[in-house]
Amino acid sequence: MFPMLTLLSMFYYICLRRRCRSGSRGESLGGRRALVDLGQRSTLPVTVEVEQYAKEVLDFSSHYGSENSMSYTMWNLAGVPNVYPSSGDFTQTAVFRTYGRWWDQCVSSPAQIRRTPPSFHSRDFLELAFEEQVYPTAVEVLETYHPGAVVQILACSLNPFTQNPPADVRWEVLWSGEPTKAMNPQARQFSPTIRPINFPTNLLRLEVNSSMLEYYTELDAVVLRGVRERPILALYKMPMIDISDLSDGEEDLSETGGALCCRSAAADHKHSLGNGYFDKLPYELIQVIISHLAVPDLCRLGQCCKLLQQHCSDPLQYVQLSLQPYWSRLNDASLAHLQPRCTLLQRLNMSWCGNRGAVTAAGFCSFIRSCGMSLVCLELSCCHFLNEMCLEVICATCPRLQELDLSSCDRLQPQAFTHIAKLAHLQRLILYRTKIEHIHNHIFYHESFIEDYDVVVSLLAARCRGLVSLDLWRCRNLSERGLAELVAGCAGLEELDLGWCSSLHSSSGCIQLLCRRLKRLRKLFLTANRTVCDNDLEQLAANCPSLEHLDILGEDINTLTSTFKNAVMINPLWH
Amino acid sequence: MLSVLSYGRIVARAVLGGLSQTDGRDYSLITASCGFGKDFRKGILKKGMCYGDDACFIARHRSADVLGVADGVGGWRDYGVDPSQFSATLMRTCERLVKEGRFTPTSPVAILTSAYYELLQNKVPLLGSSTACIVVLDRRSHRIHTCNLGDSGFLVVRGGEVVHRSDEQQHYFNTPFQLSIAPPGAEGVVLSDSPEVADRSSFDVQLGDIILTATDGLFDNMPDYMILQELKKLKNTNYDSIQQTARSIAEQAHELAYDPNYMSPFAQFACDNGLNVRGGKPDDITVLLSIVAEYTD
Repeated sequence: MFPMLTLLSMFYYICLRRRCRSGSRGESLGGRRALVDLGQRSTLPVTVEVEQYAKEVLDFSSHYGSENSMSYTMWNLAGVPNVYPSSGDFTQTAVFRTYGRWWDQCVSSPAQIRRTPPSFHSRDFLELAFEEQVYPTAVEVLETYHPGAVVQILACSLNPFTQNPPADVRWEVLWSGEPTKAMNPQARQFSPTIRPINFPTNLLRLEVNSSMLEYYTELDAVVLRGVRERPILALYKMPMIDISDLSDGEEDLSETGGALCCRSAAADHKHSLGNGYFDKLPYELIQVIISHLAVPDLCRLGQCCKLLQQHCSDPLQYVQLSLQPYWSRLNDASLAHLQPRCTLLQRLNMSWCGNRGAVTAAGFCSFIRSCGMSLVCLELSCCHFLNEMCLEVICATCPRLQELDLSSCDRLQPQAFTHIAKLAHLQRLILYRTKIEHIHNHIFYHESFIEDYDVVVSLLAARCRGLVSLDLWRCRNLSERGLAELVAGCAGLEELDLGWCSSLHSSSGCIQLLCRRLKRLRKLFLTANRTVCDNDLEQLAANCPSLEHLDILGEDINTLTSTFKNAVMINPLWH
Repeated sequence: MLSVLSYGRIVARAVLGGLSQTDGRDYSLITASCGFGKDFRKGILKKGMCYGDDACFIARHRSADVLGVADGVGGWRDYGVDPSQFSATLMRTCERLVKEGRFTPTSPVAILTSAYYELLQNKVPLLGSSTACIVVLDRRSHRIHTCNLGDSGFLVVRGGEVVHRSDEQQHYFNTPFQLSIAPPGAEGVVLSDSPEVADRSSFDVQLGDIILTATDGLFDNMPDYMILQELKKLKNTNYDSIQQTARSIAEQAHELAYDPNYMSPFAQFACDNGLNVRGGKPDDITVLLSIVAEYTD
């Protein structure tokens, strides 16, 4: 009996001590909590799970609100939630600029670049920094309206607050999925199962696609749960070993996110056997076959043999090039390797690429100098490495450029934009969220820091008579005078976005004038213009038979449904 | 001999006073609020810091303490608009701006302008109007910066005397300056003053200074000497006694407002302008009472 008692009491003592040690160490640090987790995920006796809200929003592709505002801007994602668990349209949430398919269906939307992999769904992104680096166990996104837009969650090995950034920066996909639409638009906590990774992180990136949603998705906060000590995971899958990993020397395109890079096949590895049936196929046929491959696969294929190497380096395969899906792996070396193949490049999409030092201005300039002669379309959204020199090189090297997207390129100083005047054939120019201040010839603006839009618009009316699409979203001081000049000068306008132009009042007759003059109007956005009234809509219905997209948010409107036969309405006041 | 001693005391005080100016301690405001709505409407539960159509806020930031009051203009009720929404949203927006650090302590007018701009960002328009008074204490420099639009205001009391006060801004009798958002089409008809026309002031404060920020419901019913009398009863700087004093001031004003025979400052002013009235002025009353103290985290 006594040994039993001693044994029992020992047992009891050990359990008690364990419980004591595991008592909650209340660590509350402005949005962070440490919870003690016994048993479930721990492989060590006690693991501490840290829960953090975002500390800072570092980067994003767009937002609905004005740059310095707190309403509907991305800055609302930092810190604890403001709205959740309430649902609805609140100004204290983070909202992207677009949703649904409306903007894709416009005349002015760019054509899709060939070879974009179908698994790449992302249209917008945002990057969040947290206080402490942890090995993530869960990521919770608090969505408060029309959820379902998150398509990818990634984690970065870099600590954004560090003074000495390391040379290599890795991004791992924690979760990816298809764009969805939740059954009801109410608030929800989205917490997908994430992959384990082998480095601690405090920098997350969310990629978003709202094309299936009926209205703007609104995000309130993001929670990162993780552990401080690296978990010993029995089921940890080793990254797949790629064929290209077997070769030594330069970096290869690998699953764990090496640089996007193509090696030229070494001359030593020659087969004495022929290339089989490939030798019998005509050149053009092989070209057609490989034209269906995505760019990384194309590069890998070129390492097989000399014949395929020749095919895969043919500049005709690189007439349209979208590097946006590979943004995490693109760097100067990749550009240098693609350079000899891209001499016939016409459409290049490098949006989101090259940040955090991966691509330098010099590397980009050298690429453009050798490959940019035939460029017609250049998408450089959120390319933070761009500086004035790059823009100068672009404008000097690409005389035939018709489309240029510089949205969110915030390192470009105002004087850099003077170079754009040299592009004589420009048809589409996007300067959303840039620092442009002055007016130039034949340029149209997307909500920038310009003081007087009336002057801009009158210049446009004088010089750009063939203007088809104009986006004056949030051009606060645009008045009816400016609008009158615009519609007089650019009668061929098919798309006009006058959302949040608070100085335009219907009582001045400017909207009716607009309707009478712009016969070819297909898209008209009058978002948040509370002065729109029935008379305006009657004029619109009478004069604009091609109208397809209309955005109004008004109060005195009674004739909505009966007036428009063809128009597809979006954003009526109450949804 | 005595004069030498008193001279020495003056010199010593001046020297010590000079030394305390370079005092590196940060100041803070210990604030309590109290108020009463004009009619207690049953069943309408307002969120804290709203009294009738009045609203107020108290916000702390690393660099400053900020407080404000706003008096919603009741006339909107006749047009089907709830006047308390505008003032409450304005104050909540100011509070959010301060908490997120989107302000400079030296410019309370900028806080008001930003908050007004944020109100305009709502998709569903927020109709109504209100006065506004914002008081900012800059911790490091020991200065108070204020702005006042309309007939709310503040008093600064030191040593039992009023050393600073705000001025009322009125267009005409009982029509103060006001920030407003009007229904579309009515913009020309509705009074709408820009935040830029707010009255600004800045002054130094010392430890122990009392700052009373209130809407016109207080100042129209209680003359200064009554307020000072109540403030004399404030003995120490802890939150509870400040709360108690604020409550007693608000209660007294509330009682006087419904006294038909009392010659309130409002009645006095009316008489001076040729209107023969007497009695208090029933109105929403909001009182924010603050004391300047040392900053403790």
